[in-house]
Parts: sequence; structure tokens; C-alpha cells
Amino acid sequence: MEQTTHLQSSDDFAQRKTEKEIRVALRGPKENHSILGVTAQKYHCWNCGANAENSTQFLFCEACRSVQPVNESTDYFQIFGLGREYKVKVEELEKKYKDWQKKLHPDLVHSKSQREREYAAEQSARVIDAYRTLTDPLSRAIYLVKLEGVLVNEEERITDPELLAEVMELREAVDEAEGTRALNEIQVQLQEKLRYWSNSFEDAYLNKNYDDALASIRRMTYYKRANEEIVKKL
Amino acid sequence: MLRHVTNRIFGQGLRSPTAPAPLRMYHERVVDHYNNPRNVGSFDKNDPNVGTGLVGAPACGDVMKLQIRVDDESGKIVDACFKTFGCGSAIASSSVATEWVKGKQMEEVLSIKNTEIAKHLSLPPVKLHCSMLAEDAIKAAVKDYEKKRPKSDDAPLEKATGA
Repeated sequence: MEQTTHLQSSDDFAQRKTEKEIRVALRGPKENHSILGVTAQKYHCWNCGANAENSTQFLFCEACRSVQPVNESTDYFQIFGLGREYKVKVEELEKKYKDWQKKLHPDLVHSKSQREREYAAEQSARVIDAYRTLTDPLSRAIYLVKLEGVLVNEEERITDPELLAEVMELREAVDEAEGTRALNEIQVQLQEKLRYWSNSFEDAYLNKNYDDALASIRRMTYYKRANEEIVKKL
Repeated sequence: MLRHVTNRIFGQGLRSPTAPAPLRMYHERVVDHYNNPRNVGSFDKNDPNVGTGLVGAPACGDVMKLQIRVDDESGKIVDACFKTFGCGSAIASSSVATEWVKGKQMEEVLSIKNTEIAKHLSLPPVKLHCSMLAEDAIKAAVKDYEKKRPKSDDAPLEKATGA
């Protein structure tokens, strides 16, 4: 629904302000650079029509401060101001998540229109999804390759004898383990394996070797499942 | 866990019929196999009369082992056991598979279809692949047994022609 915006003087100002912000951001920290490196689609405010390619318009319009609907083309990394990378600093994610919670706080939104409150609720849900996906290494890996168009087959069946024998042995060990000490020992080994295949995933991803990336995801899924069983028993 | 699900089809909770999200319901046969598992166990995989099928569904983190004990002379499966780590549907599917292969000829069990297992357990579409896993496991067990056998045993016709 492209409309030509007839810029009034106030909109002119908004437009120039946005352009200035973009110029400032380009000179700014590396983080902002990466937001603009991967631009969301051209975006118009539903209320005042102002343009922005800057993802700060993600939540509020820079010009009129009205709450914006979710922009599906903004990916989860962009929501947290991160580049598309596998390694993330979880503390940074947490901090930004808290920032988002403040911005979307009900008190700040309750005076807005019904339409905007609905937009705010959708935005909130998306931020929560993004946060959950990015904090867990496995779901982050799956999401990263999804962004490249590579999907994990939910119904895949395999017969790899080595992998399956290892997993079988692992699950049996967890099943038969008695006491915290035995379970913790297995858990330590598991964390080690998860770290190994996590790194393996990253290598594969960086080299665009998606077959190997998926193989790493398979392994991580199996080890994560086993870990869940240990946690249940502890 | 599953114990809290009653044996009838209507699971826990009182959701209105118009509830949008599907309730996770396990058919009473699935619950039965889960609570009263048949044929759980392990045979010695090095035993020449044992065929071992090991398959997995990595996206769910499932692994399934199905073993058959075959009588050399008759080619009949005299015993079967399984070990499955996975959801209730996967466990039930492999349990059913061990029940169905017992007493049958090896060639016969190759025609057991996942759709029959799924129908028997009233598996929902999202769990159909669990029954496929069980079908895969049967085939893998037969294949493993046959791999252990010397070739001449497979073809009685060859014996007749004195090959």
C-alpha cells in the first residue's frame, strides 16, 4: 500500500530529523551500524505517514510517538540490536530485554488508543518470542539457519548407527543413574558435548555449510533432551 | 504425566469444544502401552539369531531400538523386545510393533505398515512419524538379522538346484 506522502512542513521536519538520525547512527557505534546494514522494509507510520528505515521506529513513530504494529520483516536479532551471529552475550540480551519491558510497560501504554494498546500487546509478544529464541543456543541455531531458508525437518528419521548407539547408551545411563553424584557426572559430560557441537555449528554456519550445521543441530537436540531428563531426575 | 490422563479419550481439563488449541490427548491404547509396557528389554545383539533395528527421530530427540529373535530353520520370529526413549506415541508404536512381529515370518513383518500402527493407536497427524519410526525399526531389525546370515540360507531355491 504505497502512498505518496505529501510532506507538510512538520513532516518535512520529521523526514529531515530521521535522515539526520541515520547519518548520526552511521558514525555511531558498530551496533547501530549493523541495524542499518540489514534494513527492514521501508516503513510508514499509520498515523502521520512519516517514513523511516530506521528500526527505532519499530515501536514508536519518531515523529508522532504513536505505537506501531509489528513489522514482520524485522528479525529477532534486529529487535535486540544484534547482527546475525551465533555467539551472543546473554547478559546483553537480558539488559535489552529489560529495556524493552520498560518501553512496553502497561503504564506507558494505558493512556493510548485501543488500536495502539493492541499493537503494544503484539509487540510485547514478539519481543518475548525473540528473547526466548535467542537465549537458548539450540533454538538460536535453528532460527539462524531458518533466516537463511534452511529448515529443520520436524519429522526426519535417521539410522546413523554411531550416533544412535551413543544416544541410546546416554539415555540408558541417565535412566539407570542413581543419586545426584552420578547424574551430575553425566551432566558434566553432556555440557562438554553441547559446547563442542555448539562450536561445530558456528563453524559450519560461518562457512555456509548447512548440511554440517543441521548435523550439529541434530546432535545438540539429542544432548539437550538427555539433559532435560537429568534435570527431571535431580 | 500420562498417569493423570484418564483412560477415556477426554484428557485432563475442561476445555470448551470451541477451544482453539488442540488438547494433547492420548488414546487409551497409547496410555495402556505406556503404563503396561510389553516386551521392554534387550537381547544380546551379538547373538546370531538376533536382529537389532536402531532408528531415531532427531528433531524430537527420540531413539528406538527393536530386536527380534529368529528361529533359523523356520524363519519365524519367536521373540521380540524394544527400548524406546521418546514420547508416549513413540513408545506405544514400538511396543505394538513387538507384539505384532511375534510369531510371524520375517517376510511377513516387512509388510507391516505404519498406517496400521497409527490406526491401532489412533495417533493424531502430528504423531504419525512415530509410527513410521516403528515401521523403520522392524525393517532395520530384519535387515540386521539377514546381514548376519550366510547367503545360502536366504535362497532355498538355490539349494534345490544344487548351487
